[in-house]
Amino acid sequence: MIPSFFRILVIGRNTLVEAVRQKVLSVLLIFGLVLVGSSVYVSTIATPGLDAAGLFDEQIKFVKDFGCGAIGLFGFAIALLSTAQLIPQELQSRTVYTILAKPVRRAEFLLGKFLGVVLLLALAVTLMSLAFAASLYWQETVGLKYAQDVYDQHMPNWQNSPQLVSQYNHDIQDIVSKVQDPQLVEAILLLFAKLVMTAGIALLISTFATSSIFTIITTFMVYLIGHLEGVARDVWLARGAETSLWQSGLAGLISLLVPDLNSFTIVDEILAGNHVPWVHTLNLLGYAEVYLVVLLAVSIIIFDFREI
Amino acid sequence: MMSSTLPLSRRLRRAALVALLLGLWAPGKILWEQKIAHEQDFLRYHGVTMSRELRDQLGQGLTIGVLSGMRSVVADFIWAVNVTLAWEDEQWFRMSGLINLCTTLQPRAATFWDIGGWQLSWNASVAAAEDLKQPNALRRLRASRFWIEKGLEIYKRGIENNPQSWTLWAHTGLLYQQRLKDYRNAAYYYQKTSELPGAPVFYERFPALMYGLAGDDQAAYAAWKSLWERLTPEQREEKEHWKEKVESNIHRLEQKLSVPTEKRIFPK
Repeated sequence: MIPSFFRILVIGRNTLVEAVRQKVLSVLLIFGLVLVGSSVYVSTIATPGLDAAGLFDEQIKFVKDFGCGAIGLFGFAIALLSTAQLIPQELQSRTVYTILAKPVRRAEFLLGKFLGVVLLLALAVTLMSLAFAASLYWQETVGLKYAQDVYDQHMPNWQNSPQLVSQYNHDIQDIVSKVQDPQLVEAILLLFAKLVMTAGIALLISTFATSSIFTIITTFMVYLIGHLEGVARDVWLARGAETSLWQSGLAGLISLLVPDLNSFTIVDEILAGNHVPWVHTLNLLGYAEVYLVVLLAVSIIIFDFREI
Repeated sequence: MMSSTLPLSRRLRRAALVALLLGLWAPGKILWEQKIAHEQDFLRYHGVTMSRELRDQLGQGLTIGVLSGMRSVVADFIWAVNVTLAWEDEQWFRMSGLINLCTTLQPRAATFWDIGGWQLSWNASVAAAEDLKQPNALRRLRASRFWIEKGLEIYKRGIENNPQSWTLWAHTGLLYQQRLKDYRNAAYYYQKTSELPGAPVFYERFPALMYGLAGDDQAAYAAWKSLWERLTPEQREEKEHWKEKVESNIHRLEQKLSVPTEKRIFPK
């Protein structure tokens, strides 16, 4: 058991090193970092000249949305591109023969490769999250300075009025609580879980695909369908008179096979400032984990039987 | 040599194993997803269901964006680019449609409802009232009123979707107070505001002030009295914040309404 774990770890580490050396992934990561970092600028374009305290909500919403949007978008691209070429690249360069000739089981090889992608995603999401945190810090500094300026300019000697001091403290607290929202950790975790699930889907497809392009296109389609899985499930479970047999069958097939990725858009609610209980987040993370285990198990079965 | 060259028995075995695994997982998956969906419904996170109408409004590119889980970014993009442009060009009907689109995409983002309602009931209605292309003053007034009502509708729908957002309740109260001069409704919305977490403390005084503006001294007195009774002894001593404002109003109304001495809070 332990030697097997170490073999997976070694393959995972090598996969990560190989991935980091790839220019395409590095460029994607740099673009992601730039976009996350520029979210503050985007927010000021979005509300030109409207930096009054009342519109701070709008600006902070843009910073959060664009920051997490960029993490999701570039994370998706990194997950897709890095996973899609895992197996075809190994087959093409014939390194898979050298590895599998050693006492390495196919399952270990596959899990090691996937671990490498997960580590890569963790690295990318961490870096982009740090850039996101810096953007939020900047936005908070701007907001606090603006609030101070408004009070100083429009309400001279406001420090002498308990009511204005109380209002000022309330405004400051409001800004700080919106920026330093601990729920953002939940949002990042959910984004990461969704990216790992996407990588899992890509890995499964790549175990029987003959080219990376096929894996990329098919995974993208499954990703889109995954956001509509809830609709398919409702159609299938309702089985109304207006639903034909083949429609119901198709909806059922989608419901049974494709993950419900739309549930993860609850991240939007967190970013909009709504409270999402940790229990619900953990439920979603648990779902992602179990789904991933099934994906990996199916991938291992298919890869185990594959003639190389 | 690819998988297609595998012997039939191996292929069947592989297919049977995969089918078994998926067959075991599928019922649990459906039940789990249903549970998550119910939880999200309970938490009021309905999100958005892609309809033909919504797809037509969004266009192909933005529809793919929504389907890729970028709902909030798409809503922000429409808000930042299209709503701002419509506002600058004073295309109020277009802006109203775009505000509806953004709020449909993100019904739980209170800021869209808040600023959307403000755009229509203030900016659009003032522009309509001052529209010199319309020589008829009555028509200008009617157009202005039309946009106030549209803004009010946005605020009320926003409250339905975000009942815990004190800003929406407060700004609906402000709309009733300043744009419609309906002080009773303003008092109701300010009262609700003051009961919500995060609302500034001064909103507690607003219902009584609104009843005063409405000319209903009895209701104003009742509201001031109720507020005074809710205050802690420390708050009652806070001179500028509470004491002067609440005490002076109660004192004034007790005299004006000739409240019997034994029922007065401030008999002197």
